[in-house]
Amino acid sequence: MDLRFTEAQEILRKMARDFLATECPKTLVRELEQSDKGYSPELWKKMAELGWMGLVIPEEYEGMGYTFQDLTVLLEEAGRNILPGPLISTVISTFPILEAGTEEQKKEFLPKIARGELIITTALLEADGTFNASGIAAKATPKGDEFVINGTKLFVEMAHVANYIICVTRTKDVSSPEKGITLFLVDSKTHGIRCEVIPTIAADKQCEVRFENVAVPKKNMLGKLDEGWPIMEMMLRKGAIAKCAESIGAMQTCVEMTVAYSKERIQYDRPIGAFQALQHIMADMWTAMETSRYLVYEVAWMESEGQPCAKEASLAKAYVNEVYKNVSKWAIRLHGGIATSYDHDIPLYYRRSKAADTAFGDTDFHRELVAQEIGLI
Amino acid sequence: MDFELTEEQKAHRKEFFEVCKELEKKRPPSYVGFEAVFEIDECWEFHLYCAKEFVKRGWLALAWPPEYGGNGTMMDRVLFAEARGYHGIPGVDIFGVQMLAPTLLQAASDAIKKEFLPPIAQGKVMWCELWSEPNAGSDLATLAATAIKKGDEYVINGQKTWNTGAHRADWGFGVFKTDPAARKHHNLSFLLLDMKTPGITVRPIPYMDGGTPFCEVYFDDVHVPAKNIVGQENEGWAVVNLLAGFERSGMTEIMAMFRELEELVKYCNETKRNGQPLAKDPLIRNRVAQLACELQAARAIAYRIADLQNRNEMALMDASAAKIFYSELGERFAFLTTDIAGPYGQVKTSRWAPMHGAGEKAFQECFVTTISMGTNEIQRNIIAWYGLGLPRMK
Repeated sequence: MDLRFTEAQEILRKMARDFLATECPKTLVRELEQSDKGYSPELWKKMAELGWMGLVIPEEYEGMGYTFQDLTVLLEEAGRNILPGPLISTVISTFPILEAGTEEQKKEFLPKIARGELIITTALLEADGTFNASGIAAKATPKGDEFVINGTKLFVEMAHVANYIICVTRTKDVSSPEKGITLFLVDSKTHGIRCEVIPTIAADKQCEVRFENVAVPKKNMLGKLDEGWPIMEMMLRKGAIAKCAESIGAMQTCVEMTVAYSKERIQYDRPIGAFQALQHIMADMWTAMETSRYLVYEVAWMESEGQPCAKEASLAKAYVNEVYKNVSKWAIRLHGGIATSYDHDIPLYYRRSKAADTAFGDTDFHRELVAQEIGLI
Repeated sequence: MDFELTEEQKAHRKEFFEVCKELEKKRPPSYVGFEAVFEIDECWEFHLYCAKEFVKRGWLALAWPPEYGGNGTMMDRVLFAEARGYHGIPGVDIFGVQMLAPTLLQAASDAIKKEFLPPIAQGKVMWCELWSEPNAGSDLATLAATAIKKGDEYVINGQKTWNTGAHRADWGFGVFKTDPAARKHHNLSFLLLDMKTPGITVRPIPYMDGGTPFCEVYFDDVHVPAKNIVGQENEGWAVVNLLAGFERSGMTEIMAMFRELEELVKYCNETKRNGQPLAKDPLIRNRVAQLACELQAARAIAYRIADLQNRNEMALMDASAAKIFYSELGERFAFLTTDIAGPYGQVKTSRWAPMHGAGEKAFQECFVTTISMGTNEIQRNIIAWYGLGLPRMK
């Protein structure tokens, strides 16, 4: 057991941190929130040059061949800085192709993703708002060489700029909702797709995507017919861990900024950080952040090693969801009034704490998975 | 980053768990809650029995230098703690083995080490701590009990309190004022005392549930050899701080909670209310899952501390954070368990007691660890002042 990061990981971390500090300052973050696109194609290109989208894509497909743990090091820095855009949605949506795609699909999609030429996202949620398969009503009906998709997906991250959308559809109605689910790689330019950005708290461009008689070639089925749900479970698991990595980076910024501010801000002739009530809150913020970090590092390591970790991933996501929201909230409170302003940096994190909570499974979804994993009948 | 144990560590862990699993079969049913060792005679006997079993394997001297009988590594201590916590096994004297021994190894003279370490390693001497006083709890430095030098002895007068297991202990380590005229923090000495010395009176304090884990200790002209000192005369405060800084990752307490979680899940699956198993109640599922998450987080930071210590690095901030976290988690655990049990949450004994009465016991015991070993409020101060660099107010 040695919980230090490798030298290569420390280099990756430093490089990412420096790059983002320069290339993605908070002025850009706010600009992107206000923009229609929600990401910067110029920045995306530079990230592609660094190999970020293809970090865990094998070298044979033009990726960097790094590990999942390496990815979480990168994402921690993305969270620390805030990096608007489709990095997580693309990277996480790559896993279904990597793990369930045919060789032909891998050859077609992976190199383009690694080069930054393809933005992809996954359309899972529907009106019900549940992450369970029971919420999937969007239908894919076979028609000759194609499947025709009808339905409406919600909260699809960056769908409006995505080149491909992995659509989670129902292809068979059976008593068990997890059976009869099929994934399709849908070209976003296909006739019948309509995308509209839902205004969400983090302005992260989660979209409503309507599929009206959208024809998808059979060869774009990802995985086997009716057997797509396990692929989704895998994607949700990796996405949950990835989102946790981003969140622990974000929390570190919240804690650091709060401690620093409390040493500068003078009231009653002394720094407000001298008051015990605030000191104790900051100690609790630090404790919550530190427990989160090692919880996430462990599950990232397990995932990286290919160890089964569905339970640990849900334990982590359910925990970190709540901690990030609370730590960022206390960061605002300890800054006082100024941190309620749009121009302050802490609210950028606080608003994202809610987005992080709902990405790849919210707390109640993951707590139910935990309940099952620990043996509650 | 690597969470994997080495083959050797895995083998040791397996052995720790196997031995503790066997010992669990011999544990008396009256052993409920972590203070049972001090409260109940047969539990104290079981504690001594387990100590003997551990001594056979050298497990009371893990990571000590070989010249004092040491073997194994710091990681072994953590793995051993996991096994004891999970199986609910005593046998390791918290005071002698976990607190005093590392302190002696770092701060005591060779003579003291040679005299006092072997009996600890051999489980022959059980210890208690003589620190707190009625007017000196968190502000320990203002303690009043004196130890006045007379020739080659100290004469001790005063009173200590909250001395866990003092009525069972053979020896005690305590801090006393050896120079009443000197300034604060440079007037105290760290002494080792035979609890059978004439003039020492131990009075158990009745705990709220009627048990007696804690005691008051009165000193009336108690003569002790002056040579039984750790560190310099009047510089005992440094020794106190040294001891307090030693590892309290809480792995034992955390693994005990993992075990209790298993018992709670079993209880929820087997107990019906409103026509269905408790496990089917969505609110119970959610709350128990939340606890499981927090328990996993506690374990994560314990491993962080174990990892740092394995490289002989200090883990002060993490140690304080871990202590706050696992002790307050214990409170939430006790509250949730007794909530779920409904009216049965009130019962510790008789056929109506759920989960061996562990819930009721925990409900009455849970804040002990938030208060002892540095209150959680003090721990928060430590994180704030020494970890985050926040200014201390005068």
